[in-house]
Amino acid sequence: MTVKRLSWLLAALLLPLVATSLLWDPALLLAVARRDPALARTILTELRLPRTALALLIGGGLGLGGAAMQGLLRNPLASPDVLGPSTGASLGAVLAGYFLGGGVLAVALGGMVGALAALALLVALAGPVAGTATLVLAGVAISALGGALVNLALSLAPSPYALYDVMFWLLGSLADRSLPQLAVAGPLIIAGAVLLLAQRHRLDTLALGEDVATSLGIAIPRLRWTIITATGIMVGAGVAVAGSIGFIGLVVPHLVRPLVGNRPGAALVPAGLAGAALLLAADMAVRLPVNGQELKLGVLTALLGAPFFLWLVVRSR
Amino acid sequence: MKALAALLLLLTAPAAARPLRVASLNLCSDELALRLAAPGQLVSVSRLGADHDETLLAERARGLATNNGRVTDIITLAPDLVLSSRGDPNAAAMARRLGIRSVEIAEPHSFADVRANIHSVAAALGRRAAGAALVAEMDAALAVPVRPRPAVMVSGAGLTIASDGLAAQWLAHAGLQQQPVSRGQLALESLLANPPQILVLTRYRSQQVSTNQRWLQHPALAALPASTRRISTDGRAWTCLGPALASEIARLRRVVGP
Repeated sequence: MTVKRLSWLLAALLLPLVATSLLWDPALLLAVARRDPALARTILTELRLPRTALALLIGGGLGLGGAAMQGLLRNPLASPDVLGPSTGASLGAVLAGYFLGGGVLAVALGGMVGALAALALLVALAGPVAGTATLVLAGVAISALGGALVNLALSLAPSPYALYDVMFWLLGSLADRSLPQLAVAGPLIIAGAVLLLAQRHRLDTLALGEDVATSLGIAIPRLRWTIITATGIMVGAGVAVAGSIGFIGLVVPHLVRPLVGNRPGAALVPAGLAGAALLLAADMAVRLPVNGQELKLGVLTALLGAPFFLWLVVRSR
Repeated sequence: MKALAALLLLLTAPAAARPLRVASLNLCSDELALRLAAPGQLVSVSRLGADHDETLLAERARGLATNNGRVTDIITLAPDLVLSSRGDPNAAAMARRLGIRSVEIAEPHSFADVRANIHSVAAALGRRAAGAALVAEMDAALAVPVRPRPAVMVSGAGLTIASDGLAAQWLAHAGLQQQPVSRGQLALESLLANPPQILVLTRYRSQQVSTNQRWLQHPALAALPASTRRISTDGRAWTCLGPALASEIARLRRVVGP
């Protein structure tokens, strides 16, 4: 399948998903619209629009970021949630909450700085072309350190409710997010995506090996830092708004790469679209009440993604 | 000589029964001790009991040593009575091992539980009269007749109170009948779709940004129709559901009107 056709196919799949997400529970929406049209409009624009748009952008960002990391590190286990950037973003966001007042923009900046720091540390520790063992070890260490620091920050929190607050945020959710949150995270994720997509041909060339890529005029250190920065921006902004949402960045590139002839650059656009579709679908699944409770989005993606991760481990043995 | 010793014993016995250095380890025992203890009797309250963001009684705790809810924090103060919550049995057990008298208060589920907690702390402090007065004060606040109106009380992240719990019983005495909310958490969408007549919004650490606060500041909440009356309540009063809530209930009752 050509990249273009796959991309169009995924984009076409997004349309009904977006429509379903916006018009969720149409009976309720109609009933409200009949009683008070302004209220129905508020539900659509202030609640469902930011929720749907954030699912698309954050899912897309995670899919793109995962595909770019796997292409850059030439490693199938590379992804924001496995190797530390997501934990780094959580830590950054928590610290921003403490020291910068916790506004949406401050938390997003904290998340980005945290994700960037974790990514930079990962690349510095694992080296440019990391073997799986080195990369996973470095990633696990960074994740553990970030997690421990989040827990340290929580145990030093002045308010007894801070723990509860942060725990629920870390479980990941898009419920009751607002347009101001979309206005902060949206442009950041789009900027990161544009930056990443501009590197797609270079990523394809890098897959031929560093020597070949260098001889073809690609400045590899610059490419590496561009991808790190763009991924950090997208993951950080996403985590700041929605908490940690795992496994999208790991799973999606594996789903699309075989369909585009295993070219990492060509996989970027489809991975972004598939990530958006997957997170939007997952966000609708959590809206279906299970045993009277709404599942947390991050819990659902982990429940789906962890078995996939296991399958990846078994297959690569 | 024997007579003198007996007299001395008689004089000192009530004093020995009445603790002179009382330490409280929990916000909810702090709130009772701060209301009931004689001047100088209380030497330490928990960090939260002296925090203006956590309790209405923080002013009374000024000058007292604060602790982190652990016996190790207060042992150097040589307390002769430790007040703690039954939710932390380790603290009481440790105090008893060290030979310090210990009284635990239980999480209240009814007004009878609240009265029992007041009486038990008052008795331990040797301040039964103060305890009886506090119970009478609370009961007087609860005795005012009200006309119940359906309402929904909600705090950050859309968390609500159970319609059959003690918080709802307190709220009913302000003339507000808490309506049941499925799952105990209100989604903004269902709030907008079915706006209640009265929405009681909890203010708690509202100057600090949190994901919970963000829910209360969501633009959609401002879009609620004018038919929904919004009343704000001080979240600090609701943590312990003890007698400190009585004044906030009286205030709410005045706001709601007859």
